[in-house]
Amino acid sequence: MKWLTKTIHREQHALERARRRFVRKPNERRLHDVRTTDRRFLSLLEDVAGISESERLRRRVKRAAAATDAARDATIVLRLLESSVDGSERSFARPLLERLYQQERIATRTASKELRRMRFDP
Amino acid sequence: MKAGRIDLEGVDDVRELAERVVATRLREAHALTSGLDRRDKQGLHDFRIACKRLRYALERFAALDQSLEAIAQRLAALQNALGEAHDRDMLLAILPAAMTATERRLRSDREACVDRAVANWTELQQLMQALDSHRIAMVL
Repeated sequence: MKWLTKTIHREQHALERARRRFVRKPNERRLHDVRTTDRRFLSLLEDVAGISESERLRRRVKRAAAATDAARDATIVLRLLESSVDGSERSFARPLLERLYQQERIATRTASKELRRMRFDP
Repeated sequence: MKAGRIDLEGVDDVRELAERVVATRLREAHALTSGLDRRDKQGLHDFRIACKRLRYALERFAALDQSLEAIAQRLAALQNALGEAHDRDMLLAILPAAMTATERRLRSDREACVDRAVANWTELQQLMQALDSHRIAMVL
């Protein structure tokens, strides 16, 4: 099916572009982009698994998603804690904030390292 | 929650593909709505993932039928509300016990997010029923 081949190629290119941007300069926005592009593509590959010979590609895309989970989780929880901590409880929050800053840094670096090794070009 | 495999036997055109994919993903979302009623962490998470798969499918095939776009947009709002509830669940799981005021605020925000999701889902049901396209009405 022509439509399917074209759609898979388009999404492959989009993921590869997002991956390159993220590994060039890892930051929160680029992490978000690479994750959404990846999830969207993974969902397409799962939808058409019955007619597309793309099992290896699907596994690679899934691995890429997993590689960014820890960085995303740390970032989300960190931003939420920063914005919702009650004024009277700042001192209790400080150790957790510091732990999350460190987790975010390490997880983003790990995600970048893993994505550096992957390629999604058709 | 793993995506179910879609039976695409004999499918050789994009409309047929759209119908089978959307019908399957919609069925999966419907099967998990009990998570929205129970309001528990895992149930809401599973329902959110199913809605995300449905939304991506609708967006992908929206060129075939414009009415799919409106449903996809409403699903995005639903998914945002559930995503915000999930973020609060993640933070609540690691919040120090001494932070009781913050915990109260997070719990109350979480419930507001789930209320928003319930309202979105109710609107979505009406939107889907109102679809006048015979093809899509058949699917949805």
